[in-house]
Amino acid sequence: MAVAMSTVFFYLLGALALFFATIVVGSKRIFRGAVALMAVLAATAGFYFLLGAEFLAGIQLLVYVGGVVVLIVFVVMLTGSLGLMEDTPSFGRQVVAGLGALNFFLPVFGVLQFSALPEISHEAVALPGADVIGELLLNFGKSGYVMAFELISVLLLVALIGGLVIARKGGQRREEPT
Amino acid sequence: MIDWLAAHAPTLKHWLILSSALFAIGLYGVLARKNAISVLMSIEIMLNSAVFNLIVFNRYIAPKGADGQVFALFVIAVAAAEVVVGLAIFVTLFNRRKTLDVTQVAAMKD
Repeated sequence: MAVAMSTVFFYLLGALALFFATIVVGSKRIFRGAVALMAVLAATAGFYFLLGAEFLAGIQLLVYVGGVVVLIVFVVMLTGSLGLMEDTPSFGRQVVAGLGALNFFLPVFGVLQFSALPEISHEAVALPGADVIGELLLNFGKSGYVMAFELISVLLLVALIGGLVIARKGGQRREEPT
Repeated sequence: MIDWLAAHAPTLKHWLILSSALFAIGLYGVLARKNAISVLMSIEIMLNSAVFNLIVFNRYIAPKGADGQVFALFVIAVAAAEVVVGLAIFVTLFNRRKTLDVTQVAAMKD
């Protein structure tokens, strides 16, 4: 029963994610694209649930849907692109972009079709949860990630300060004398 | 009906094809769009499908460990930092040039 449900949700969420992703890259309105991006990211959180990674699904909703998309919407409003209608890309641009995308997708698709991939199990498996992830993150041993974890916190601090410095007001005044 | 659905459960191959399709759509957006915010949103789709792959491999190759999930957490944190800096650059760019068209911003090209 659980396996049958996972089949249904896989195809349902997969169709939704692909549909909204095409809206993100194809919509003329930037704001509509941002809302569709939110749907794509939420569908991905659903995939994480299906794969048994509940903690990651929660993180995905918190950081991406709650943080990144809201930030993008803020910038869309700050830069006055709210009602902006972007021109449809020229035909040549569409062809080149489509060829680029197909040039990635078709080889990958072919390789996946003709390669023997290992199959562990189709049964619903609960991946290790937040407790195991937390232990791995703060583990000093050989299989631990405490160094990367601390570096990520430094990176977030740098991004915070960098974002403030780049986007602060008054940066223009110093350039006027030149 | 339930047996048929259970027999057609998604395998590793299906998940990988789905994530590479999402990646290809994002790639199209990066190459075709001109507005910088649209390009950033397409990049987000690509990053998201890459993270998705990490979870899929964690589930199907090494379901006992949590290393794929830890890597996914790191990538999500780096992506959030990248979005913050990128959007700050867009706000500054718009204040100075009144445009977000990436084809118009080519001062470093020559």
